[in-house]
Amino acid sequence: MKKQVFTTGIIFVLILAILAGCSGNNGGNKNAGTPGNTGGSASGGSKEKVEIAVWLTPQWKGVLDATEENADYDSFFKHAADKFAKQYDKYDVKVNVQVVAGDQRDELLNVNLSGGTPPDVFFESVFAMGDYAHRGALLPLTDIVDDEARADIAQGYWDNVTFGDDVYFYPFAHNPGTLAYNADMFKAAGLENMIGGETEIKTWTLDQYEQILEGLKNMPKDQFSNAYPMALYGLNNQGDTWNLAYLRMFGNSFFDENGSIVLDDEKGVKAAEWLKKIYDAGYTNPGAESVSSNDANAMFQNQQLGISFTNAVLFNNAKADMAAGKAPKFDIRLANIPSEGGDPLTFTYVVGASAFKTGDAKREEAAKDFIRYFSTDTDFVKSSKNSVPVRSSVAEQYKSEYPFFAAYDANAAYMFAFTGNVPGYSELRQVLFPELQALYIGEKTPAQAVKDYQAKGNEVIAKARENSSLK
Amino acid sequence: MQQVKAKKQRESFDVLSNIIVIFFAVLNLFPLYWLFTSSLKNSSDVVKMPPDWWPQTFTFSNYVEVFNSQPALRWTLNSLYVAGLSTVLLVITSSMAAYAFSKLRFKGRNVLFVIFVSSLMVPKEVMIVPLFRIAQDFGLVNNLHGMIWPNVATAFGVFLLKGFFDSAPDALREAARIDGAGEVRTFLQIMLPIVKPGIGALFILNFVQVWNDYLWQLVIGQDKEMKTLMVGIATLMQDLNPNFAYKMAGATVAAIPMLIIFLLFQQYFTRGLSIGAVKE
Repeated sequence: MKKQVFTTGIIFVLILAILAGCSGNNGGNKNAGTPGNTGGSASGGSKEKVEIAVWLTPQWKGVLDATEENADYDSFFKHAADKFAKQYDKYDVKVNVQVVAGDQRDELLNVNLSGGTPPDVFFESVFAMGDYAHRGALLPLTDIVDDEARADIAQGYWDNVTFGDDVYFYPFAHNPGTLAYNADMFKAAGLENMIGGETEIKTWTLDQYEQILEGLKNMPKDQFSNAYPMALYGLNNQGDTWNLAYLRMFGNSFFDENGSIVLDDEKGVKAAEWLKKIYDAGYTNPGAESVSSNDANAMFQNQQLGISFTNAVLFNNAKADMAAGKAPKFDIRLANIPSEGGDPLTFTYVVGASAFKTGDAKREEAAKDFIRYFSTDTDFVKSSKNSVPVRSSVAEQYKSEYPFFAAYDANAAYMFAFTGNVPGYSELRQVLFPELQALYIGEKTPAQAVKDYQAKGNEVIAKARENSSLK
Repeated sequence: MQQVKAKKQRESFDVLSNIIVIFFAVLNLFPLYWLFTSSLKNSSDVVKMPPDWWPQTFTFSNYVEVFNSQPALRWTLNSLYVAGLSTVLLVITSSMAAYAFSKLRFKGRNVLFVIFVSSLMVPKEVMIVPLFRIAQDFGLVNNLHGMIWPNVATAFGVFLLKGFFDSAPDALREAARIDGAGEVRTFLQIMLPIVKPGIGALFILNFVQVWNDYLWQLVIGQDKEMKTLMVGIATLMQDLNPNFAYKMAGATVAAIPMLIIFLLFQQYFTRGLSIGAVKE
């Protein structure tokens, strides 16, 4: 009997395996679209065939926006690739689009770079990709930036994407980071006076913010029985820019003029103590050390959190989810991250495409042409409205439809450069969350966590500076 | 009188230990129960407080969404193909190598075995980049076979089966040789049936290991259609989707095949885990 079960099991697995293998090979042997297997090849037609791989992390859904049918994260690039291929006269180009999860990005990129098979194009926030420019893995894009683009996109964004003397990312949109709050929950907690306008990015003082946390904690449980005041997370490096902002709340400058971390001072320690204080007081979700930013975002959308982090894309996605019935509907509004000094804290992610050095001149040419195509085409740049357009022309076109564009613009005065433009920023991100975890579980005191982060972080920066190809 | 007292004490101890075992069993099974029942709820019911311990309304829409919005069936078949084929091939190569190390006498046998087994000390992550370059050279990137070939010969399989071959009496092999059986026949018809429990244990342990091999499958299976279930579901977990029940359904889909495999081959699995625990 046992023998029969064992044999039957093996036969079952093998039959399924053969079925999968037969069809699996169809995809597996297609040499298209994989960075390692792409490349120019001779063609029988008039134009030479070239295949390029485009990778992106999830940004917005749909070509123009998420209201389209079957809108997905790759819709825009698939559509752009199709139109690009039809009008491209240099090569018979095929563009293969692949969405990569944010936390898989560096693993995949590093292995593929080591294997000599990076993707041709990567569309992502600049801060997450800047290290690849320092490592000499990216192609300069300066030669594909024309005067019209220079005039339409403000200098601040060009500064953001310029490393050394060259532009390495073609700015497409930007994502200002703020807080989002559930105004319905505020009303239930008797905090009506703290609610900002529907299209306002509300600024609270730190005292007011603490009052809000207290009010939300003591909110009557009949309506929101399972809600915590504020999102706090530290599982991984995702969404860590808000954690960096919290660490600046008491006036710490974070980096000095030499690009070294200077968090370990009275203000930095005070900020860490504040995080620990609100965590221990139950003003945040429990288990912050094992909660990711994705979890926190989902909790907020399910009305389990009163205040959470957000950016322009997340905010729009949340509203789209509510409209589509994918998440409970509530009155969602924006606020700034408060600070002890009174001036709020805000930042932005510039998002754009970069081109990797693949060693294949034709692929590199096609990759740059594709980037120029979708980053300058008057129809495609309209999709930047899903976050905030970097182009004045697009912002102007949509300003009446998207009143938040003006609010973000007014907020720009409070912006801080969270990367400090230091080399090794990607690795630096790996150093922060373990210290936050140690802080939340009580393994380290706030002072020790800050001290250790500074020591480890400066080590990472020094090492990256030594190895940077951009001196 | 003392015997009765001792019996009562033993019974009390049994009852107590059973209660403790049941408590920990429930504690371990509860997350699985919660995962499965939550996958059958609406998203809002998943976060309801106080929670519904049993779904008030059952819905399979989350499963429909997982299979409609993602190629989850394709991922499942990919995982079965990769784990199934690499395990069958591993059993073949490991049993032959283990037999050679155990029963054949050749120069440098022990040194070779020590070198071979010492590769167990090298974490697989260290070899990812060189292995990826090799896979690249053989055109195995974005190909299910790229996930299979690096797993068909492992030191662990040889190490495990050698122990079983060592415990098989040499006399049997010698008797077979005297009766005129060649080396291949002796291996296939005399020795292999004796180590069947070891093969069963290796099969299930390796199947589980390959099934859960996240990093290698992530870097090799780059197209959406080429992902395995574990990688695909992990990607799905990263989706900015507020529907908790949908993610629970995805996690359940990832867990169920392994549960079935475990239930089918439970005895081999537990035997595999207890190998070396008892010296015979």
